[in-house]
Amino acid sequence: MEAGNVARDPVPIEPKMLLELYRRMVLVRMAETIHKEMLDRQEFYLMGHFGTGQEAVGIGMTAALLPTDYLFATHRGIAEFVGKGMSQEDIWAEYYCRSVGPAKGKGGLHLSDYKVGLVGLVGSLGADYSIAVGAALSSKIQKDGRVTLYSFGEGTSSQSDFGSTLNAAALWKLPLVFGMANNQWCEFAHYSDHVATGDVAPRAEGYGIPWSIADGQDVAAAYAATQEAVDRARRGEGPSFVEFKTYRAGPHFSGEPGAYMAEEDLCRWRERDPLLVAEQRLLAEGVATRDEMDKIAEAARAEVTSAVERARSLPDVTYEEMISGVYAGEVK
Amino acid sequence: MAEIPFTAALNRAMAEEMKQDERVVVLGEDVRAGFFGATSGLVDIFGPERVLNTPIWESGIAGMALGLAVTGLRPVAELMFADFFYLAADEIANQMASWHYVTGGQTPVPIVVRTAAGGGFAIGYNHSQCTEASFLNPPGLKIVAPSTAHDAYGLLKSAIRDDNPVLFIEHKLLYGVPGEVPDEEYLIPLGEAAVRREGKDVTVLAWSTMVGKALQASEELEKQGVSVEVIDARTLVPLDEATLLASVAKTGRLVTVEEGRKRGGVGAEIAATVMEKAFGSLKAPVVRVAAPNIPVPSGPAAEAMHVPSVPSIIGGVRTALA
Repeated sequence: MEAGNVARDPVPIEPKMLLELYRRMVLVRMAETIHKEMLDRQEFYLMGHFGTGQEAVGIGMTAALLPTDYLFATHRGIAEFVGKGMSQEDIWAEYYCRSVGPAKGKGGLHLSDYKVGLVGLVGSLGADYSIAVGAALSSKIQKDGRVTLYSFGEGTSSQSDFGSTLNAAALWKLPLVFGMANNQWCEFAHYSDHVATGDVAPRAEGYGIPWSIADGQDVAAAYAATQEAVDRARRGEGPSFVEFKTYRAGPHFSGEPGAYMAEEDLCRWRERDPLLVAEQRLLAEGVATRDEMDKIAEAARAEVTSAVERARSLPDVTYEEMISGVYAGEVK
Repeated sequence: MAEIPFTAALNRAMAEEMKQDERVVVLGEDVRAGFFGATSGLVDIFGPERVLNTPIWESGIAGMALGLAVTGLRPVAELMFADFFYLAADEIANQMASWHYVTGGQTPVPIVVRTAAGGGFAIGYNHSQCTEASFLNPPGLKIVAPSTAHDAYGLLKSAIRDDNPVLFIEHKLLYGVPGEVPDEEYLIPLGEAAVRREGKDVTVLAWSTMVGKALQASEELEKQGVSVEVIDARTLVPLDEATLLASVAKTGRLVTVEEGRKRGGVGAEIAATVMEKAFGSLKAPVVRVAAPNIPVPSGPAAEAMHVPSVPSIIGGVRTALA
């Protein structure tokens, strides 16, 4: 499925929900924009693996989850983390490696926040496939009704645990949803250099896992497709696989120019920028005015700026903090 | 007090821990049947959801254990052979080892990864290694390697109750060896070595099957007028440095004995530690008795030459005394 400029029937969504999801996407875009600006000014150490252009996927997917559900997400943008409920204060405290962060500043870019079901962000792509299977298996054993969402990209579909994971999820009918953002770029290469087929989701069929392909530029579509999969998991009917067609509208990371990306492709995708798609609908359906949307952006800027300033003003971790916490409890 | 095989001691430890804590689950390839017998019968008591046969997926067994552990359960995972640790190395060394630290202690990481190590069946390079040395380096793991049924029981119970990932190394030649295991419940704390034989001339530090060989060697040496102190490390991480250093302070000589390869082995780490902390006590360089730096060879004849023997331990002690 090509997620270009094609006419579609709008996916049904409550107007209030659409507005809230738009607000979350604006917050994500704002946080990543401010992050990039700080890097441009050489004011911040942490390289960014921004998810500009694919905010609708992370925000739409996570809207289908309950606070108690588990989420595994990636370095590509912070939409999933914002959508799951991690606050800007907590994100920036971790980014600045401050001891007030949920992980005491030990995670850095590897965000985790157990109070909102964010189990951990691994640095070796795909290492969390089996960890997510374990979390979903845990819910099945404990009968706690939780669903695990495994959010990843088409690049990580090449890791060896991909097939084993689909097999185990199907074998045990786990409450596990695979949400794959196909952003068309695997680091510096177009995904046609890495992935044998244009669509990845149909591979799920071989494992007996229901799959679908959704428009990753439309937050309502991403939400609806994920909700269907989450509902199936919560009913005890096992895993599902949803592939979201989207576009990484920027380089792999902040330290490279993305010279391999064609400007005409970027322009075409900007016409279906997920924020723009949502704005057009909010205006067309009379849910929000331009003025109200401007206020949402202003509030987002204030929220991010305040969180950044707070984190920046806090002290670096001490040697004692740095050296401790390897083990739980006292170790001789 | 009954004499029971090493596997029965492990089985009893797991059954008791599963009975008193419903969060304890067992997973691995063929754990319901029990490939080496340690997990046999548990499924009949605790059911298939707590004794989980997995697909052939070693990285997954380790990764799933981590996922189970950080969501409220206490998995005891089995990797059939210690060689397969390398298949699961990312999950063990990169992930479970670091998890408590990088999440700032938001969750305990109570995992035991049991495995069968070492030679004995002469089946070559991928089913005979002692790989524990490779896991000394990643921070956050504990490593346990019992030498008797008595210790296997008490150490495994402690490992299951520990809130950190523990690699539990079982030598496959020990599985059938009976030992006295008291009927009353007991725990052996991780990080406590045992002095198996007191002596005054040389300290021999060993673990797992090498403890038995070191004791045999020390009996031979006793006849030759050499008094050997044999320490069973039992836990390699954390290492009971106090017991080791006290012994070296007394004898002034140290021989480490391991079945794994010499280069980058456990003995290298222990020798460095003793040099740093007890150089003044040493009357001679530390001697390492270990396997040569080759893949574990196939066939009984080659394997017997590869694994440290009683004569090679005696030779090591003689070198330390020279």
